[in-house]
Amino acid sequence: MSTQQAAPGQQSAGTGTDQGAAARYSGAWVRDQLIRHAMVVVMLLIIAYFSYRSARFGTLENIQTIGIAAAPFALIALGQTLVILTGGIDLSVGSIIALSAMSAAATVKGHPERLWLSVLVALFVGLAAGAVNGFLVAKVNVPPFIATLGMLTTASGLAYVVGSGAPINGLPGDFGKIANNQILGLQIPVVVMIVGILALALIMARTSYGMRIYAVGGNPVAAQIAGVKTGRILFSVYAISGVLAGLSGVMLASRVISGPPNLGQGYELDAIAAVVIGGASLLGGRGSIWGTALGLLLIQTLNNGLDILVVPAYWQSVIKGVLIVAAVAVDVWSTRRRVV
Amino acid sequence: MANVALECRDLSKSFGGVPVLKGVTLTLEPGTVTALAGENGAGKSTMMKIASGQLKPDHGSVLIGGEPLAHADAHAAHRQGVAIVPQELAPIMDMRVYENLFIGRELRTRAGLLDRRAMARQARELLEVFNVDIDPQAHMRSLSVGLRQLVEITKNSSGGAKVLLLDEPTSAISDREVERLYDVVNQLRDRGVAMLYTTHKMEEIRAIADRVVVLRDGGLVMDQPLPAVTDDDIVQAMIGRELTDLFPEVPPVGEETALEVKGLHVSGYPEAVDLSVRRGEILGLAGLVGAGRTELLEAMFGVRKSTAGTVNVAGTDVRRNSPAAAISRGMALVPEDRKGAGVVLTMNVLDNGSLPRLSSFTLGGWLRQGARGRAVKDAMSSVRLRSRGMTQHVGTLSGGNQQKVVLARWLTGHVDVLLLDEPTRGVDVGARSEIYRIITELAQAGMAVVMASSDMPEVLSLSHRALVMREGSVVAELDRAALSAPDVQERVFRLAAGLDPADRATAAPSAGADGPPTGGPSRPATPTTVSPTTKEDVR
Repeated sequence: MSTQQAAPGQQSAGTGTDQGAAARYSGAWVRDQLIRHAMVVVMLLIIAYFSYRSARFGTLENIQTIGIAAAPFALIALGQTLVILTGGIDLSVGSIIALSAMSAAATVKGHPERLWLSVLVALFVGLAAGAVNGFLVAKVNVPPFIATLGMLTTASGLAYVVGSGAPINGLPGDFGKIANNQILGLQIPVVVMIVGILALALIMARTSYGMRIYAVGGNPVAAQIAGVKTGRILFSVYAISGVLAGLSGVMLASRVISGPPNLGQGYELDAIAAVVIGGASLLGGRGSIWGTALGLLLIQTLNNGLDILVVPAYWQSVIKGVLIVAAVAVDVWSTRRRVV
Repeated sequence: MANVALECRDLSKSFGGVPVLKGVTLTLEPGTVTALAGENGAGKSTMMKIASGQLKPDHGSVLIGGEPLAHADAHAAHRQGVAIVPQELAPIMDMRVYENLFIGRELRTRAGLLDRRAMARQARELLEVFNVDIDPQAHMRSLSVGLRQLVEITKNSSGGAKVLLLDEPTSAISDREVERLYDVVNQLRDRGVAMLYTTHKMEEIRAIADRVVVLRDGGLVMDQPLPAVTDDDIVQAMIGRELTDLFPEVPPVGEETALEVKGLHVSGYPEAVDLSVRRGEILGLAGLVGAGRTELLEAMFGVRKSTAGTVNVAGTDVRRNSPAAAISRGMALVPEDRKGAGVVLTMNVLDNGSLPRLSSFTLGGWLRQGARGRAVKDAMSSVRLRSRGMTQHVGTLSGGNQQKVVLARWLTGHVDVLLLDEPTRGVDVGARSEIYRIITELAQAGMAVVMASSDMPEVLSLSHRALVMREGSVVAELDRAALSAPDVQERVFRLAAGLDPADRATAAPSAGADGPPTGGPSRPATPTTVSPTTKEDVR
């Protein structure tokens, strides 16, 4: 920081830091921290409630269950985070899951001995669909909502085309290994999720690529003048979102050892919800991978806890909807409290 | 003092523990214009918001004609006759003028449907009062910013307003539109409206105000009738110290050519542009709004499409239409629209500061945090940025400090050519003199500077040479001698407006023989070359 000058018009921060030292751990400080981390507080309250109501909720086994359920959502939510940070949206991830799952299933059926090929095909299909989205948004300037809405319908249709209108069944049992084998005592999808979160969090915070994504979302014109190739950045985030949806698709197909063409339907909405709960702005430039991870955890914990308490599915839906909006409202309120 | 339109008593307001207003007392009389001056961050906007009922003071009260103002209720304030015209207008662009005028208080027919005919008729009458020719049926988007502002003023003053608050009304409009604004303000004054007018431009205070009040650090430091104070008094009150000289001495020009533009065809303009700038030289670009100065700078830098020509920096041709290529060849652009194109408001000082040269702070794509932090910190302290540190969000900096970030972020690496577009727009007078100092220092360090500006004193005092532009082409070149001639302002205006350049051949003779007071040792040899488009009789 530059030397403090005796200049007017400067609301210097000096007072803030002095007060901070004196007021730490006082009531006001605690309240300030609670407001600052409102979403974490909401999360802890939910966990506390479920733990109180059910002994099973807090067990290691149940935590694993939450992790396994969260993994496919986590991957598309990560991709969605990048897209939303650029100010866009990707509505097509649910359909890309279906299309890549069907493609993987069809591949396994034709080449039962080559599991890796099915994974590769799923990733490629996801990449191709994401690349089309990216091309439309970055080069043709189609609004992201429209471009990915088109892909939602197209990919969903293609998923049925792959299976000629029916699910692909009778797959070799080995196909299930992808979702069910363990590494270090954790199932592969959980490991993929953890690695994915850590890797992307690192990329967003510590690489020039991550910073350029924030810049493009925060102010595309300024980013361009600063020499950022905005088109490439936009293209890349849709491509990444597609690849991650492809990966999610093959893991889901492996879990059920079949290829149902309606797999992943509506998943995009949960992914978007997780990103927004995590504090991201749909206008772009604001949000983080950690926030998304927290949002994801919130949704999955709710799903799991309500299941354990045997709440009927239709009530679960109502409660989830209300809590999601309430959580974001609290976050918006707390943000306004901090920066007037 | 019996006749008071608006009275503010001992207003105080803090945001997050930081006091912004500290006990300000102010009265406005009907039929007067009070200029509210002060640097950015002095509390002007907060003052306006409280006086218009948008914000509740922590302490103190606002009285309208003796009645307390309903706070935090803009509608009630409007009913009481207080209206504000904000700095950043928010008209509904896709609606028509009359629709904008009547939104929120639409006229209805007896059947309860919108009475569009009556609204359009009344809108015409309202606008006619100000002698401005605006079609009520026109779409808001099709109007210039100045006309939109007049519509906004009409809207706010029509409902029998007694107090009108104008927040920096001239910050975004052209000189011609400013004149029209003055007419409107004068008419409102004649009608007995009390006006509070924020600005930091001295000529505006002189042109329009009856009284001047100055805020500094949230306190009222001056409240005087205008004739009782000098410009220097006002400036001193604003910045709290004496401003020795707004413009620094311009350094001498170097020998080597740093920027050579040949036949550059900017997309959308008929004529190509040639220009060359030497190291250490500051080239001013003058002209009216829309003369193509911004477009020329953007085309040189590659963010606007050019269809032909070459841009050569320090002997190397730069690939056209690629900002990344321009940056790597040592070009830098400080754009006109700071918030829209300069900074990324959602990012902090460090990230904004490293954005243009990110690849020089990375190793295999990974940011080298130490090197990045040091380089940005050095660059920011070289322009004396006042911030709470590298992690402060740029959106919370004052305008002048934001502009320093936009400028200093280029200084983490080598710059040969610095392109500045309206470098001091919306910047207060203290920060302004600092920015001038920085510009001359950079020129002295060997950069070639091209500066487009609508601020005439800025072009005249800071440039070694100036080009006057009109409709995308260069219509005249003025050297240092011509720039220091007494009637140069009028001359530049005539050239820029395409008027017949007076009957006199103006400053041309003085450019030749006798040396003018300022200017570098190696002054450009061309004495006032005038392009063929203006047939000035050079003797």
